[in-house]
Amino acid sequence: MAAQHSHRQRRVRYPLDPHPPASTNLPTSFQMVSLLKLSQVTEEGVRFLSPHDGSPMLLTPEHSISLQNSIGSDIMMQLDDVIATTSPDHARIKEAMHRSVRWLDRCIAAHEKPESQNLFCIIQGGLDLELRRECCREMVARDTPGIAIGGLSGGEAKDAFCKVVGTCTQLLPERKPRYVMGVGYPEDILVSVALGADMFDCVWPTRTARFGNGITAEGTFNLRHAAYAYDFRPVEEGCQCTCCRPQSEGGLGITRAYIHHVAAKETAGAHLLSMHNVHHLLELMRRAREAIVEQRYPEFLKEYFGRLYAGDKDKYPQWAVDALQGVEVDLLSD
Amino acid sequence: MTVQPLDAVHRDKIAQLPEEMFTIIKSVGRATEPRLGRLHILGRDTLETPHYVATTSRGVVPHITQDLFARATGINGVYVPLEDFIEKAPDKIPPLYQFKSPDGSSPLRRFIALRERALLVLGARRTPPIIAPAANPNTNTSVSISTSVGFRPLTAEDYAEAAEKLQPDIVVGLGDIPYGRALGSKRIEKATDRNIEWLQAHVDVRNDWYEDTTGPSTELFAPLLPVSCANQHYYIESLLQDRSKDVDGLAFYNLAALEDLPDGLSHLPRLALTEPTTPHEVLQHVSLGLDVLTVPFITAATDAGIALSFAFPATAAPKAEAPPVSLGIDMWTTDHATSLAPLVEGCECYACTNHHRAYLQHLLSAKEMLAWVLLQIHNHHTLDLFFAGIRKSLEDGSFQQNVEGFAKVYESRLPEKTGQGPRIRGYQFKSEGPGEPKKNPAPFQMLDDRSEKLAESTPPAADADAAELEEQGFAEKQS
Ligand SMILES: [Zn+2]
Ligand SMILES: [Zn+2]
Repeated sequence: MAAQHSHRQRRVRYPLDPHPPASTNLPTSFQMVSLLKLSQVTEEGVRFLSPHDGSPMLLTPEHSISLQNSIGSDIMMQLDDVIATTSPDHARIKEAMHRSVRWLDRCIAAHEKPESQNLFCIIQGGLDLELRRECCREMVARDTPGIAIGGLSGGEAKDAFCKVVGTCTQLLPERKPRYVMGVGYPEDILVSVALGADMFDCVWPTRTARFGNGITAEGTFNLRHAAYAYDFRPVEEGCQCTCCRPQSEGGLGITRAYIHHVAAKETAGAHLLSMHNVHHLLELMRRAREAIVEQRYPEFLKEYFGRLYAGDKDKYPQWAVDALQGVEVDLLSD
Repeated sequence: MTVQPLDAVHRDKIAQLPEEMFTIIKSVGRATEPRLGRLHILGRDTLETPHYVATTSRGVVPHITQDLFARATGINGVYVPLEDFIEKAPDKIPPLYQFKSPDGSSPLRRFIALRERALLVLGARRTPPIIAPAANPNTNTSVSISTSVGFRPLTAEDYAEAAEKLQPDIVVGLGDIPYGRALGSKRIEKATDRNIEWLQAHVDVRNDWYEDTTGPSTELFAPLLPVSCANQHYYIESLLQDRSKDVDGLAFYNLAALEDLPDGLSHLPRLALTEPTTPHEVLQHVSLGLDVLTVPFITAATDAGIALSFAFPATAAPKAEAPPVSLGIDMWTTDHATSLAPLVEGCECYACTNHHRAYLQHLLSAKEMLAWVLLQIHNHHTLDLFFAGIRKSLEDGSFQQNVEGFAKVYESRLPEKTGQGPRIRGYQFKSEGPGEPKKNPAPFQMLDDRSEKLAESTPPAADADAAELEEQGFAEKQS
């Protein structure tokens, strides 16, 4: 039992800076293609209708790599066969996992600049942990410079999401970055970090800004609500982003009332909130890294959840409590 | 009309200018001739005139966040309409009126986070305004303004008090302006009376307000009716007599009042709240002696996906046989899809020095908001240079000749809009009733788009309307 216990205990890894320095490019990915309407996946590749003019197109693993080689992204993603984790068609999920492995081989073979561009594989297998394990073994054997955990669309239950992330990270090599694709909610990111993930990407902070939502340590608030019309505080008090920082400190000193005034009425409202939201997440990750370095990540998590739910432990999401329990972090302890 | 080159006497005059709000550096002396001037307000960038101030919507130059305004544009003045801020009045005090500036400076400037040195001009209505329906006429004490919750009256008294409290640099007094309607002689008489009375009331507010201080901290511009001065002569008389010490400038809503503007008012700066639709019309406005203009076609071109591409003086020499040169480039067309050229060759704006046509075309077809940000930066830069060219021509005496050359080289109108604008926002959205198709359909349809939207959005605001709810994915509007 002791051996098993130590196996379960994992080192919290130092997450990579999710904001690359200006000289690097963001990863490129074609994942969305398979989610487009009328797409059809065959062994050859993904057939779909051009969103521009409706003409039929075929994207093969080779073509996706050639495009990414010409774009020159620092991190490039394999073409994978993505099925929503919520799909009831288990046979199709299994087929997609095996096809993603075969496509990885084709991507590796087609990759012309392995010395300057890092190809990441993408682990598939839906919510079936056995399929995920098999996919991890197959893909890790192919020795790509980095590993992505894909197919988690946000539609699945959070505990299932955590099980997938935790299962995969246990099987992944220590010294390669682990990138959980499409994760953007702060709680999901922080729990995934505890489960051993390093990198994340998500449209949520900017997209939610377009709906007038501001992310704060106390939660996400819709500033279009009438309650904010007369609220002259910054989006988040103490925030050092360009939008919130007082004018006397070189910021804009924008108030919630002003965001309320322009949100959903002027594009600048979305831009201002995006500035804040992205800053908030970058700052959150910076503090997470700091906590890991100082070996107080569990305390950091407790503080974070305490603040988010105003100290009311009954409100902590069960999935987060359970997932963190699995890595020896007791959110409910004092 | 001849404007002499700037000679040594003029140059001396510039060097010795006293710190007056408005100085005419060069004119031919008659009222309706182009002139070079300088608008100087303490703490603000000096506005060399002729110049333009950018128009705003809800306190922001559309698409340009306040930090970008300071970092990536050369805009040094804005026009802000009060009607953008007061939909809650009079039932509730508008938030802007309750907002306290953290450092005691203009609450309006701080609320909209306007760059410290940018000139702030406040008027009652947008330019161009949404014309009030006949059922909402101006009255003896109020004008009809458009807010996001419909038309409502704004009284002259409320306007004067709010305007002074908000401390813009320039306040345009409330005028009985009959936007979009011709005035009969009876109506002109009525409007003249109202303008006299409202201006008097505004001056009274200022005198009360600043009784114990050194004087008003705002410059008051008197609105002229969009008719000849002869047709509003009682008002003009009052400006020349009783109000001669109280008024710091004039505001124009069309060119009619310029025709017979008396010499006694020609020392005042002239702000044009007109709607020139082409650079040719801007030149005409300048030719008649307007100093500070608003140019609504800049944002209109941006929203249409058009990169303005004209220069003054025209860079190409007019050729007898050559076809006229276009005033703008439609960035929607796929011709640009592989072009690595800047929007306009040689342009030094942020957009042109950092990006190329292919990227802009891509952003437009993906309907990314950044497309309009970049276009708006470029288009304002184009107007910055256009006005700098006007001033240089006035200085060296080549203005008239360059106006003629410009007319020969360029097309008479801006290109037609072909693509879609940004998602129709706020004021621009005029509901045509239930069941209307979505104004701008999304370019990509994701399979699980709706569930994703629903998952990420917090419950809708209490005052959200059906269109907003639909956009958030809460329900589909039934036709
Ligand atoms: Zn902030
Ligand atoms: Zn440019």
